[in-house]
Amino acid sequence: MNSIKQNPGIFRIVVTHYVTAALCFLVLSVMMLFSLKAFTGHYFHPQILAITHMAALGWGTMIILGASYQLIPVVLETDLYSEKLAWISFGLFLPGLIALVYSFWTFVPGIHMQCGAVLLLVSFVLFTVNVYLTAKKKKQQTIQEDFIFSACLCLCFTAILGAALVFNFTIPIFGQGHLHFLKLHAHLGLVGWFLLMLIGVSSKLVPMFLVSSYQKTGLLTASYYLVVTALVLFLVDSYLFGLSFRTYLIFAAGAAGISCYLIFILKCLRSRLRKQIDLPMLNSFLSFIFLKVAVLTVPFIIYFHLKNNPATIRFSMIYGEFMLLGWVTALILGQTFKTLPFIVWVKHYEHLTGKFKTPMPADLFANNLLKAQTASFIIFCLTFMPGCYFMVVPLICTGVAALIITAGIYLCNVFIVLFHKTITYGKL
Amino acid sequence: MANFNITDPNSFLKEQMMETLRLVIDPELHVNIIDLGLVYGIEIDDHKKLVTVKMTLSSSYCPMGESIVSAVKNCLEGHYGGYVASVELVWEPVWCYDSISEEGKRLLGM
Repeated sequence: MNSIKQNPGIFRIVVTHYVTAALCFLVLSVMMLFSLKAFTGHYFHPQILAITHMAALGWGTMIILGASYQLIPVVLETDLYSEKLAWISFGLFLPGLIALVYSFWTFVPGIHMQCGAVLLLVSFVLFTVNVYLTAKKKKQQTIQEDFIFSACLCLCFTAILGAALVFNFTIPIFGQGHLHFLKLHAHLGLVGWFLLMLIGVSSKLVPMFLVSSYQKTGLLTASYYLVVTALVLFLVDSYLFGLSFRTYLIFAAGAAGISCYLIFILKCLRSRLRKQIDLPMLNSFLSFIFLKVAVLTVPFIIYFHLKNNPATIRFSMIYGEFMLLGWVTALILGQTFKTLPFIVWVKHYEHLTGKFKTPMPADLFANNLLKAQTASFIIFCLTFMPGCYFMVVPLICTGVAALIITAGIYLCNVFIVLFHKTITYGKL
Repeated sequence: MANFNITDPNSFLKEQMMETLRLVIDPELHVNIIDLGLVYGIEIDDHKKLVTVKMTLSSSYCPMGESIVSAVKNCLEGHYGGYVASVELVWEPVWCYDSISEEGKRLLGM
C-alpha cells in the first residue's frame, strides 16, 4: 500500500499551526489598524518591521510549517521523520515570534529581540533537519524535493542574517549600513523561502487538486535553476556592488524562472480533468496574479534606485505588500480550505466511508463565509495597495478594515472546520 | 476494466460487486470510483470467502488513498455479509483520462 495513513500526532501538530497562524493573521490586521500613517513612510520603521515579521513569520511561515508537516510526506512520498522535532520547533517558534515582534513594535533592540531572533533561528534549523531526514528516507529524487530543501536552507540563512542584523543594533557586526543587509535578508526570505517553498509544494498539489494530466517537469526544473541562480547572483552582486544595471539582468533570470512556473500552472489548468474550479482554487489563482504584479514592480524599484529617486521606497513598499499580503496571503486563504477540510474529514470519516453516506471534505467549511472572505480580501487589495502607493490614509484605513473582516471570517471558518461534528446520512 | 467471463461461476457476483462499488465516491472529485476507472478487477475466493479488489489511484501518493481503500473494504463487507474484502493497489496500467467512463466524464463536466 503506497499511501499515507492519517496520524493523530501529525493532526495535532498541523491544527496547532493552523490555529496559531489564523490568530496571528487577526493580530496582524489589528496591528495594521494602529499603524495607518506608517504605511505612507519608509519601510524601515518600527511598526512596519513588526508588521512585516508578523506577516512573514506568524502568518505565512507558521501556516507553511503546519501545512508542511501534512504535505511534505505527500510531496516527498514518505512519512515525517519526527513529530517530536516538529513540536520542539513550534515550542521555540512561538515565543521567538512574540519576543521579536513585540521588541520591533516598541523598538527596544535589547535582550528580548536577540532572544527572539535566536529562538526563531533554532526553530527553523530543527524544521530543516526534520525535512532533510524525511527526504533522506526516500530514494527517488524529484524537483519538488530540490525546491523544498533549498527553501528550508534559505529559511535558515534568512534567520541567520536576521539574527545578525538584530545583534548589529547593539554590537556593530556589519561595516556597511543596516539597510544594505536588510535588502539581502528580505530577498532570502521572500524569494529563497516563500517562493521556492510555495513553488515546490504547489507544483505537486495544484495538479493533484485539479486532477491534471500534465506530468512533465521540464518547466519546473528550468524554474528552479533560474530562480536559484538569480537569487544567488543577486545576493553576491548586491552585497559586493549594490544595485546596478546588472541587477536588471539578474531580475530577468528570476522573472523567467517565475514565468516557467506560471506556465506550468497554466498547462495544469488547461489539462485539468475537473472542469469546475472551486472557490479555494480561485483564491489560489488570484494569488498568482499578485505574484505577477509584484514581479512587475521590481524593474521600477531598480530604475528609481539607480536614479536616486525616492519613488523607489514607494515601489519597495508595494512590492513587499503584493508579495506578503497579496500573493502569500491569497494562496493561504484559498489553500487552507483545500487542505484543512481534508485533514479533518479523514479523521472523522475514514472509518465510515463505504458504510454510510457522509459529507464530503468540501462540505466541512461554510461556503458563504468563504465567499464573504474572498470579497473582503479583494476590497482590501483594491484599496490598501493603491492607498499605500498614493499615500492616501482613508484608502489605507478602508483596506485595513476589510483585512480585519477577512481575518475574522477566516478564523471563524477555520473553527467551523475544526469543531465539525461527525454526521452521516443513513446507510449506503 | 473488468470483463464478463461466462465460464466463471462468480461472474455474476463480480458484476454485482462492481455495481456496488459505484457507492464509493472519490471525496475530491465527487464521482464514483467505477466511473473514474480506478477499479481494474475483482477476484473472489469462494472457499475462503475472500474478495480481492485490484485497483489504482489517480496519483501514486493520493492523500485520500487510505480513505478510498477503506471505503472499498467497508462497502463490500457491508453489502456481502461473510466476505472479507482486501484491496491490492496496482500502478500498472497507469491511470489516465481514457480510464474514465463516458458517464464519469459527464459528471466531471468534460
